[in-house]
Amino acid sequence: MFTLKYKDDLFKFILSVFVLSIILIFSVSVIIVLYYSYPSIIRYGISFLWTKEWNPPKEVFGALTFIAGTFIVTFLALLFAIPFSFGIGIFLQEYCPFFLRGIFTVIVEMLAGIPSVVFGVWGVLTVVPWLRESVEPFFNAHFSNIPFLKVEENIGYGILAASIIVAFMILPIISSITKDSLASVPKLAKDGALAMGATKLDVIKDVSLPYALNGIYGGIILGFGRAVGETIAVVLLIGNQAVVPKSLFSVGYTISSLLANTFTFAVISPIYASAEVELALVLLLTSLIVNIIGRNILNRVIGGRFSRSQFGGG
Amino acid sequence: MPENIKKDNADNIIVDVKDLNFYYGNYHLLKSVNLYFKKNSVCTLLGPSGCGKSTFLRTLNRMNDYTEGAKLTGEVLINGKNIYDKSVDVVELRRDIGMVFQNPNPFPKSIFDNIAFGLKIHGIKNKDFIVERVEKCLKYSGLYDEVKDKLNKSALSLSGGQQQRLCIARAIATNPSILLMDEPTAYLDPVSTSIILDLINSFKKYYTIIVVSHNVQQSGRISDYSGFFLDGELIEFDEAGAFFTRPKDKRTENFITSRY
Repeated sequence: MFTLKYKDDLFKFILSVFVLSIILIFSVSVIIVLYYSYPSIIRYGISFLWTKEWNPPKEVFGALTFIAGTFIVTFLALLFAIPFSFGIGIFLQEYCPFFLRGIFTVIVEMLAGIPSVVFGVWGVLTVVPWLRESVEPFFNAHFSNIPFLKVEENIGYGILAASIIVAFMILPIISSITKDSLASVPKLAKDGALAMGATKLDVIKDVSLPYALNGIYGGIILGFGRAVGETIAVVLLIGNQAVVPKSLFSVGYTISSLLANTFTFAVISPIYASAEVELALVLLLTSLIVNIIGRNILNRVIGGRFSRSQFGGG
Repeated sequence: MPENIKKDNADNIIVDVKDLNFYYGNYHLLKSVNLYFKKNSVCTLLGPSGCGKSTFLRTLNRMNDYTEGAKLTGEVLINGKNIYDKSVDVVELRRDIGMVFQNPNPFPKSIFDNIAFGLKIHGIKNKDFIVERVEKCLKYSGLYDEVKDKLNKSALSLSGGQQQRLCIARAIATNPSILLMDEPTAYLDPVSTSIILDLINSFKKYYTIIVVSHNVQQSGRISDYSGFFLDGELIEFDEAGAFFTRPKDKRTENFITSRY
């Protein structure tokens, strides 16, 4: 016998099924990755993570080179992208003349939609020659005694080229989320500060950014996610050599570019494939851990600031 | 144009509004408003929703500057100087005019920092002075005993009524001469409302207070002067006693007597 509430109950049930499917997809992917990496985990143990050598014919597999490459590229890309993204987001939301805001916003969103291979090709055609012909000679002449700025081979390809292009790719994500987060700051909160004689900068610094922090953080996490897993542009630019990068201009290899380049051969040998799946597991766990740690840090920094509605009770 | 109160003592006039028109796009929101406010008095501006009374209030500290498509003609003289003059620094202007909004809107900061905010943005760095000032403002707004042990707690942890008094404390921290209040009790319970009305009464020693309200009974409790807005026009403006007991315009009388 249906009650009047049955439609609500049915709808709730359908929604629950959708939500459960997310959990299912997530668990299945983790289980599959765990299953296939199991032989490698058993054989190489935890030292897999800090073993440098990667030698498929000898069946010696260590992840350090690729973990280092992945994190250095991700870190540099975020380092380059975050200040620009904040600037773009703040400008678009708070300072941009009304008639230009729409145009700029569309451009930023279009940038986000450019396929990564196009970025990669552009990097090979423009960024690599620029690094090879201008930047690297300059650093070679002036900073050759600073270890992490040393130019080893003047080829243009390497960590820096990949990081610059990955930074371009995450720039639109972080800027548009910064803009949207600022847009969602209640007008009343900003008015309160303006009415006290705050300048626009005061309002941004003391009202808008604290309110928008949660969202901006989300944007950085999304940017991290894209940077850490970015494959094709990095394959084209990083130089693809299994060495631990010692300098900004070194060549390197990331987890995702290794998998893209070699996984089709790797499946021939079960242990080779397993070692590569274990690398995928490292990538997966990293994303998870960064997310959890990030959220915890943020909760501690801002406390219960967002737990109550802005207008309070009353 | 209502000229019920004689401009007997011009020195006593702190805000003088002359032929103020306000347009939003093609919409004529305020129509030739003329009125003035005397020092250390409480003036309430009444009217139904959408009559332009809040817009009018926001012209007094130029908060409409940021409204896209807004246009204003006429003059608002504060201490004899037109605040819409090109030479006026709007940041400077607002330092002297505190504002309290309809919804309590504390900053997402601690109670202490909320009140210190105005002082800090105006470049006051002396810590002792700030501490003393914060304490004084909390005492003025009757909040001190309730929050003195949790000044570092988030302002958003306070109740709605406390938040509104915090906003009042925040508005007076920079020692303004004028206090604008836009329906400050609209969302508060009767007890909090009563506390805030008493505050307004005690504040007129120090400030000129202009309150927008649609509550006739509450306005009667605090007003020295009252004005009635309808469809963007100032229908009547008078001393509170006359305004509430012997309104000259039929429309004012209708508004007052229909027990809004």
